[in-house]
Amino acid sequence: MRSIRDAVNQVHFNRFRFWFQLAAFVLFVYGGYLAIDLGSRLPFFSCGYNQEGRAGVCYLLPLQHQLGRPWPMLFTAAGLSILTGLGIFVLWFIFLNKGWCGFVCPLGTLQDWLTALRRGLGIRYAKYSHGQFKQMTKVKYVLLALTLLIPLGIGGGLWSHDLSPPFCLICPARMILPAFTGDFSQFTIDFSSKTAVVMTALGMMVTALFVVGSFVKKRFFCFICPMSALHYLFSKLALFRLKKDGDKCTRCGDCYRVCDLEIKEIADEVGKRDIMTDDCTLCLKCVASCPEEGALKATFAGITIFESTEAGFVRRMNKGHQP
Amino acid sequence: MNASPTPEVPAFQRSRQARESEITLDHITDDFDGNPAAMQYFYDLFRRVFIQGEALPHEGKLIGTTCIQAPDELIYAVGATPVRLCNGSYHYDQIGADFMPAKSCALVKATLGMLHSATRIPKTARPDLIVNPTTCDQKKKSSAMIEGMGYAVYDLEMPNVKESEEARLYWQRSVRQFAHKLREVTGKKLTRQNLKKAIAKTSRAQAAFRQLHNFRKSSPAVILGKDVFLITNAFFFDDIDRWSDAVEKLNAELTQRQAEGFKAAQRKAPRILFTGSPPVFPNLKLPVLIEEAGGVVVADETCSANRMLYDMTAVDEWLVNDMVDSLADKYLKPCTCPIFARNDDRKRRLLDLVASFEADGVVYQALAGCQVYEMEQKSIAEALNAQGIPMLYVETDYSPDDQGQLSTRIEAFLESIKTRKRKAAA
Repeated sequence: MRSIRDAVNQVHFNRFRFWFQLAAFVLFVYGGYLAIDLGSRLPFFSCGYNQEGRAGVCYLLPLQHQLGRPWPMLFTAAGLSILTGLGIFVLWFIFLNKGWCGFVCPLGTLQDWLTALRRGLGIRYAKYSHGQFKQMTKVKYVLLALTLLIPLGIGGGLWSHDLSPPFCLICPARMILPAFTGDFSQFTIDFSSKTAVVMTALGMMVTALFVVGSFVKKRFFCFICPMSALHYLFSKLALFRLKKDGDKCTRCGDCYRVCDLEIKEIADEVGKRDIMTDDCTLCLKCVASCPEEGALKATFAGITIFESTEAGFVRRMNKGHQP
Repeated sequence: MNASPTPEVPAFQRSRQARESEITLDHITDDFDGNPAAMQYFYDLFRRVFIQGEALPHEGKLIGTTCIQAPDELIYAVGATPVRLCNGSYHYDQIGADFMPAKSCALVKATLGMLHSATRIPKTARPDLIVNPTTCDQKKKSSAMIEGMGYAVYDLEMPNVKESEEARLYWQRSVRQFAHKLREVTGKKLTRQNLKKAIAKTSRAQAAFRQLHNFRKSSPAVILGKDVFLITNAFFFDDIDRWSDAVEKLNAELTQRQAEGFKAAQRKAPRILFTGSPPVFPNLKLPVLIEEAGGVVVADETCSANRMLYDMTAVDEWLVNDMVDSLADKYLKPCTCPIFARNDDRKRRLLDLVASFEADGVVYQALAGCQVYEMEQKSIAEALNAQGIPMLYVETDYSPDDQGQLSTRIEAFLESIKTRKRKAAA
């Protein structure tokens, strides 16, 4: 038991995560060809527009459709289906918490690959001030509100159906993920109406921004992702958690150093045990790069599954040693 | 034709300065039983360097540092050798007194005295550059004085607060600036390869230190604090790879000792955490007195030992920019130096060390005139006492005059700890 635990804690974490993400990417982008279907309440961007390859559908797509029904319908049995849908989404979510972002989400994985490409080319990342990012992370809540309210407006007849589903129309996954199965049909601007032109053009722009943004800034899109905002509303229920023992922390900042989302609290907060913030993707890089025994740990239903150790740190950060 | 069979003792070895080191070293080696065999490397090293005055070789340019905040990794990366100039000798303290007001820190005075002297012990070449991080006032003001002695001095700008993001960015810029300066001095540029290798060099030393540090958790102790201070003091000037080899060898010996149930100190010996102004050889007076009186120094929070080697660098992207920023973060964020406005981290570190090393009490050394340590004394004592941990505050300097008085106080402190423990056990 002890040796299993040591093996886990000393794992070459980045390598492990790379292969895990690759497997998840293949599953959710190509799983459809093997007739895998995990339903349409998934808490990450397994894009529904990837009609052939998808192994399940991102919850935001059906949610917006459901909310976009005519108002009277919302108060019938159909309204109830919104609640059951949400319930299934929450059940999926609490299993991995935001770990869906850090380990499974194909759009998250793509960003990591773009980062790896930049790193491989030896190009440095862009630096922004902490203040700028503190502002930007609020955008995700605005986007979430719009993602929920615009469909309601459409259902009430306030706006055209061409606006539906609003978030999907601007989400980079809609264009990028189908492209992985050879479907480039989303790379078009729809000239059928003014609204359609605006939305599809906006979608193009966001996709371009996504590619450029995540090339220069790690996990650029996650800062503004409305799914991430929706996650955070339910994170208290999650089974998979990130814990910190502040007494063991020296505030050396090693965790902050490697954090893709530059979450300062991970290093500086020593009072809270539950350390996951709304930007966090639970990628666990912080745990892997903490040299203090047990200062950071990932737990599942209260059981520690991966924790920081000195030996693990030394092994993982041992890059420049001559053999 | 009177060929003398006994070689003549060189002049330096007969000097009072060498005698000062010899006395300390003799105490360290002769007053204790069961010194680890692997310690011989360090005993010999100090004997050669401080008593025989042997010259220390170096590779590339020689960069003197006056504080642990100067990133060694950058210096190694450009093919230069760092040497820490902080000095612990009473001989140099007296010479340095000419530069500083009477009530100044002995360490700063001794460093100035050493740099001013024609013969510098440890005997290194003349540093091509001296990096002086802008830490406490006395060190800051030393810059101009050292420059006045004809050295090239670089002020490495440090912030006064370390918690804010502004301070972090300021320091990162400052470290990058230092890298440029090093390039100017050595003509060599930082590259991904040389910096990665340099980080590996210090990481290896740090990993060895951490292993040694962890051995001190065992009770009864397998190694004494006086030896550990000697080892970390050797890090100031020794070749880093040889140093790591020697520490790794010692760790192997300690592994064996632990398995055999070896006792370096009595089972009931009071376990002491040492904090405050750094003990720098030959001024290891206080740790040696503690252990001569039957205590054992199980851990420390000083910049001549733990703080210098404990915190390790994490890098996410092994590109030059990220490595340099990572190094900057490592040097600033965990630092518990009292020059910063707040000392919450220092308190937390001390409490954690007390808990994880099962220390019975804390000895706080303040070198007279070292204002920042003197000023933090009260808040540290309060934080410790609130947890029921006794602390002995000792104000001292490099002169040997207060030894008798100090040993009386230390004995009384250790005795009170023993009494507490007996009462707690009853």
